[in-house]
Amino acid sequence: MTLSTMIGAWIAVFLTLSIFSYLYKDNPFYKIAEHVFVGVSAAYVAAISFWTQIYPNLLGRLFPKDGPLSFTGLEFDFNHSFNILYIFPLLLGLMMILSVFQKFNWMARWGIAYTVAIAAGLKAFGYLNSNVLNQVSASVVSLFGENLPFFNISGDSVFNNIVLLLGTISSLMYFYFSKEQRGNFGKLTRVGIYFLMISFGASFGFAVMGRISLLVGRFRELIAYSEPSYNYSTIWLLFLIIAFLFYHSIREKESNT
Amino acid sequence: MMIRKLENLIIKVGDVDRRVIFVLIGLAVLIPLLTPVSLPIRETPTTVKFYEGIEEIPKGSKVLVSFDYGPSTRPEIHPMNVAVLRHMLRNEHKVYISCLWPDGIYMALDALEDISDEFSLKEYEDYVLLGYRPGAEAVIKGLASDLRKVYTVDANGKFIDDIEMMDNVKNLNDFAYIYSGSAGYPGTFEWVKYGGDPTGVRMSSGTTSVQVNEVIPYVRSGQLIGLLAGMPGAAEYEKLVESPGIAIKGMAAQSFAHIVIVVFIIFGNIAFFLKQKKERKYSK
Repeated sequence: MTLSTMIGAWIAVFLTLSIFSYLYKDNPFYKIAEHVFVGVSAAYVAAISFWTQIYPNLLGRLFPKDGPLSFTGLEFDFNHSFNILYIFPLLLGLMMILSVFQKFNWMARWGIAYTVAIAAGLKAFGYLNSNVLNQVSASVVSLFGENLPFFNISGDSVFNNIVLLLGTISSLMYFYFSKEQRGNFGKLTRVGIYFLMISFGASFGFAVMGRISLLVGRFRELIAYSEPSYNYSTIWLLFLIIAFLFYHSIREKESNT
Repeated sequence: MMIRKLENLIIKVGDVDRRVIFVLIGLAVLIPLLTPVSLPIRETPTTVKFYEGIEEIPKGSKVLVSFDYGPSTRPEIHPMNVAVLRHMLRNEHKVYISCLWPDGIYMALDALEDISDEFSLKEYEDYVLLGYRPGAEAVIKGLASDLRKVYTVDANGKFIDDIEMMDNVKNLNDFAYIYSGSAGYPGTFEWVKYGGDPTGVRMSSGTTSVQVNEVIPYVRSGQLIGLLAGMPGAAEYEKLVESPGIAIKGMAAQSFAHIVIVVFIIFGNIAFFLKQKKERKYSK
């Protein structure tokens, strides 16, 4: 095993246990892990975005080899030809960076406005097409289709189609606020509430399942790193963190009294 | 007398310190991992649909696999991505790997390493690792119109035009299938909206459990050909492709933890109602 693998394993165990220590209470180990995570993530995304996107796709197109801007001394050879249009993303990007200066922060609004407009346009089309039109057409089913069994728990059936119809209509009606939810209409919206509650329950169940899966993954790594080949890193660090937290809580009690 | 004692005990359990619950859940996960228990796994229709969807792709097709997750969600998505790669390579497909998450590239490298010996994998013959590009849905939209505008070089810095496997690959329409192993944004939703739906290329996805409820309508509407839902979905798929892996091993821990949580929910609710009953009695 290489030294870097060993160091990586010890860091991974330390950070995992530090995060878990929050379950006891907020403490310095958790704070260290939290700050390291935020700092490393931000730096990593910034670096990788520059070297994989800005460098080849922006600079590579504005300053290609033997391009019209070669006289500046900047040349980036990525098999691209010169494209003047890429000056706009460069300028908008620079304007967004200028937001750190009080005097020029109005310039950032241009870049932000462009980004918001593009995102809104992109999302509006995608959402309307995939989440509205396609979903509406998928909910249009033949209730008593040919050769459809009356009941089938996992596939298409008359019963499931009725549930789909009732669930869709009653849930939508619950969000219709132009009529008071009383009488027969109120009964229908109440059914809608039940459908929504079942949906929230399923979401909660899936969320719990997801968190447990992540816990399984972390425990599996902690078990692997507790082996002799990793110098029992999990056991040593667990002992160290528990001892520190114990000492910390005693000191805290003493200072309170 | 006996019933009153039992009621008091349940109320006490209801007031238990949350840290005791954390420890019990921890033990419920840890013990099955230390002493493996085998539990039966039954395939759900969405997983079977997913499996059949991949089986239907003509052999030797070009498939795009997107690694849209990071280390934080690795336990859920990684097992299914390894199984999907295994299935695709077994069917002699050419695999093109993209990443919408910055650390997805390391997840892809890990997954390729896991199956490298089994298939004697050769880069640029069996697969191309295109790598990560920032931009989320803009990247997918770019891939749908012109792949070379998004990817000038691959993950190793090699020019896309110099890679033989990239010949005749201009955009998403040149792929027979798209798969996204997704842990959130950007991921499945963006691939459906800007990749699968506009191009009509068949696609499927493996997601974290948290996303399942929102993604599953896409399966019914046919926008996704099946779905792998969290770690259980990965375990079912490992069973279908006959290569038991870490998802199957983790399912016992998952089940025991669920039992502990359900027991606490039941006890918590009973304790709540008993407490209310007691308070009403003494307030009269």
